[in-house]
Amino acid sequence: MSRNVKNQANIDNKAAKKDVAILDLIAKDHPGSFEMLIEKYGNLVWSIGKKFLGNQSDLEDAVQEVLIAIWKSAGKFDPGKASEITFVSMIARRRFIDYLRKITKHKSEDSMDDDNNNIHLYKESLLNQETDLALVKSAIEELDADDQELLNLSVYQGYSHSEISDILNIPLGTVKTRIRRNLMKLKDAFATNKLQSNVIQLNNG
Amino acid sequence: MDKRQEKLNNLLDLLATRSCQPLSYTEKLELNHLLDEFPEYTPDYFEDIAALADSTMYVHDEQNLSSMPESTKKKIIKNFRSDNEGFSTLQIFKNIFQTPKLAWAMTCLLAIGTSMSMIEFRNYETNYRNLPVKKALLEISSDDLIEYNWFAQSNEFCDCSGKVIWSDDGQRGFITLAGLPMNDSSKNQYQIWIVDPNMHANPVDGGVFDIVTTESPTIIPINPKLPIGKAKGFAITLEQTGGVVISEQPLILTAPKERPQSTYGISQTTI
Repeated sequence: MSRNVKNQANIDNKAAKKDVAILDLIAKDHPGSFEMLIEKYGNLVWSIGKKFLGNQSDLEDAVQEVLIAIWKSAGKFDPGKASEITFVSMIARRRFIDYLRKITKHKSEDSMDDDNNNIHLYKESLLNQETDLALVKSAIEELDADDQELLNLSVYQGYSHSEISDILNIPLGTVKTRIRRNLMKLKDAFATNKLQSNVIQLNNG
Repeated sequence: MDKRQEKLNNLLDLLATRSCQPLSYTEKLELNHLLDEFPEYTPDYFEDIAALADSTMYVHDEQNLSSMPESTKKKIIKNFRSDNEGFSTLQIFKNIFQTPKLAWAMTCLLAIGTSMSMIEFRNYETNYRNLPVKKALLEISSDDLIEYNWFAQSNEFCDCSGKVIWSDDGQRGFITLAGLPMNDSSKNQYQIWIVDPNMHANPVDGGVFDIVTTESPTIIPINPKLPIGKAKGFAITLEQTGGVVISEQPLILTAPKERPQSTYGISQTTI
């Protein structure tokens, strides 16, 4: 076997590992499943944590807590209710928000220009297996530009509602109402897209 | 807008806020109050969509995604492994008992194992072949294993042979016997005695047993009725069925051969 073919085989093997349903393996107490969890979702959890906490030492502790929480909760994962990435992100966000409340730290202004090794492979893997992500992206794109910006500031960048009120110079009540409406729109659009996707899959046999 | 719709909007605002940031104490109280009023809503109502939107933003724009430093990964894995060393075994048993088929299989095996261990010392005919294993187990678990040969105290029993193997630390041991005549268990039973003069004035009852065959050796566990400090000697007598507290019967076998010094309350012919 030539070196190139061997390397390709290694890459394929790596990619295959990333496509494994990690939570199922954890629930079955598969050896090395925690390491696989970190391999597959470590960067996502780290990125979400960085948004909420910023500070490196707090971040490390919190990320460890979150990963262990995901590992312990794996048995509760029901693929019929949510995708694996949704389950992981939900636990991560909830835990980081709680952690933030505990330590009452402010969001870091640090840039996110870290070493991005292996991110491409990671991204491809998640895109391939998680159709939910594509569906929700399509739902986000259906929102108008202002609403997309609001969602970006609140959900992704992690600004508090009062901070968004200051940034966009709009009343706090309006911020709350618009975020709630946007989330509601996303929820409905996602549900509709998901239903359509399921119908298409059924029709295609 | 009616009052109920206003409350519902308020609840949804709080749920949306909760999915993005920590709630203040008063917001939490208000949320709990409203959730009681609208039980069809749960605290995580928006959390799935917020989590999915969040992931989408990272996954579709790789500039937003940060790599966890390798040193952090290693540190987390190391901490995880050291915290979960004992957990794996526990998890295996947990998994077994969470799987109905495996749980039944394990229960059956345990039941069979328990039955076997109960039969073990009663099944005298087949017991002898397990002696090396029993001895090895006792040796592994005890550093103070002592071993004596039996010696007959009268010509009537001169064909008898066997050993006593005992651990003071483990408070357990067993005897092996060959050549002892069968007894009629409705009338009498053999009884084991442990001599520990420093702790007990009289020999301690080590349990009764029957000889049901003379064709093969027998193994009998020693079950002292009182704690033993340091066993100096052992003896076997033939007593009424069920045994006695203090024996008045002649000694059949003793181990070791010579009667230990300072054996209070013990004579050549009586225990």
